[in-house]
Amino acid sequence: MIHFTNVSKIYENHAALRDITFSIEKGEMAFITGPSGAGKSTLLKIIYLSEKPDEGSVTIAEWELSKLKESSIPFLRRNIGVVFQDFRLLDNRNVFDNIAMALRIRGMTEYEVKERVMEVLKTVNLRHKADSFPKTLSGGEQQRVVIARAIVGEPTVLLADEPTGNLDADTAAGITRMFKEINAKGTTVLVATHNKELFRNTGRRVLKIDNGTIVGEEMG
Amino acid sequence: MYILYSLRLAIQSVWHEKWINLLSVLTIAAGLFMITLTFFSVYNMDLATKKLPEKFSMMLYLNNDLSEQEVGNIMSTLKKNIAVERARYISKDKALEELKGVLKNADYVLEGINENPLPASIEVKLRQESVSISKVKKLAADIRKIKGIEEVEYGEQFLNSIHSIKAGAQTLGLLMISVMSTGVIFVCYSTVKIMFYRRKEEIETFKLLGATRGFIRAPFVIEGGILGIGGGVVSLIGTMALYYTLFYKLALTMPIFKIIVFPSEVFIALPFVGLALGVSGAVIALGRIRFS
Repeated sequence: MIHFTNVSKIYENHAALRDITFSIEKGEMAFITGPSGAGKSTLLKIIYLSEKPDEGSVTIAEWELSKLKESSIPFLRRNIGVVFQDFRLLDNRNVFDNIAMALRIRGMTEYEVKERVMEVLKTVNLRHKADSFPKTLSGGEQQRVVIARAIVGEPTVLLADEPTGNLDADTAAGITRMFKEINAKGTTVLVATHNKELFRNTGRRVLKIDNGTIVGEEMG
Repeated sequence: MYILYSLRLAIQSVWHEKWINLLSVLTIAAGLFMITLTFFSVYNMDLATKKLPEKFSMMLYLNNDLSEQEVGNIMSTLKKNIAVERARYISKDKALEELKGVLKNADYVLEGINENPLPASIEVKLRQESVSISKVKKLAADIRKIKGIEEVEYGEQFLNSIHSIKAGAQTLGLLMISVMSTGVIFVCYSTVKIMFYRRKEEIETFKLLGATRGFIRAPFVIEGGILGIGGGVVSLIGTMALYYTLFYKLALTMPIFKIIVFPSEVFIALPFVGLALGVSGAVIALGRIRFS
């Protein structure tokens, strides 16, 4: 599903990623871990095309990213749900509208949008917060809104960048459970985290990254 | 389907930033009002100069020794010419009679003249479409070749002046309209650009969620269109107010204002002109949207 071959990304004098090669299979749930600044976020950004690799090739499903036309990028992104580290929720829109945005860009009717958003809000246990604004929600609730927005379009890949950053242990465990459930439905899930508790005893593959290089692999 | 959503976003944005948008609408309205006034000035000047050919005529002075047959031949040659509307023969006696009519009480200046000094002539009225410098010059040259014509006289200087005034007014009008239109486009451009920067974060999120360029652009283009239409409608109200209060009321006391014509088609066109300029400004402001 996701294939990195000798991928490097260099920012001015600093190499964020160096000669990275790995694969994530379709339907797999895997973790990328490493200290802050190791290159986890850059790796995810390359997958959702926020950044371009300077060397190497990246393939997502049947899409070879270097050969992808710029006008096709939106259509690839619709297949990738992203849980952003900084949430990227719009403060001037309520929970419903924040999630609905991912469907409206696909040109869905308001009826379909309403049906799907309410369904996904039920999945993340936030149906009662549909009319609330992001700033009135707790960190965990905001995180669940972001997950809801990422999965509402039924993507084939779900990426999560430090999804439990500032959350307490119980909330973090709940988020991990949610990812497992999403993965169980067939979605490929890749989670970047420095929180070892998140993948301990999950039985999932964990890629260790440090200083822009994959330094090891283990089972969580 | 997303057009409806874009329309909703555009209306929300117009309302949310109502003061800056109101200012833009008023500026656009002022620009369109100036464009309309310029257009009306040029239009009326054009109309006035179009009426002048009705008064334009050529005088053909004939040789003294022409027979009736020869005069008849000249008249029929002239009438066959496509540029000629009508031709009137003025005999020597008729010319003297008309001169006396013009002089009225000052006809003593003709006392002591035994022989009629005036030549016989033909007054030629031209068709409106033939009253242009080049056509009149060509016609005069053709007429001079007709046997029996001594001299051809027409207001060449007058014709040149009219042409220069008309061309000058049209050029100035076009220049004014171009400058004002550019100004209106610039106002829309600036407003949309400001809106675009204010919503930069939101647009970035749209992009990351998979929005196409069309989806991102649509609300801004609609917003530019709304501003343009708004400006058009306000300038339409201003123009109508000017027409009905100023010209209509002034015409009652000063009939000269009655000759001013306001073509109603322009009133209807104003919101559409505003729409076109608003959309153009927005499209230029958005430029090329990049995804990576």
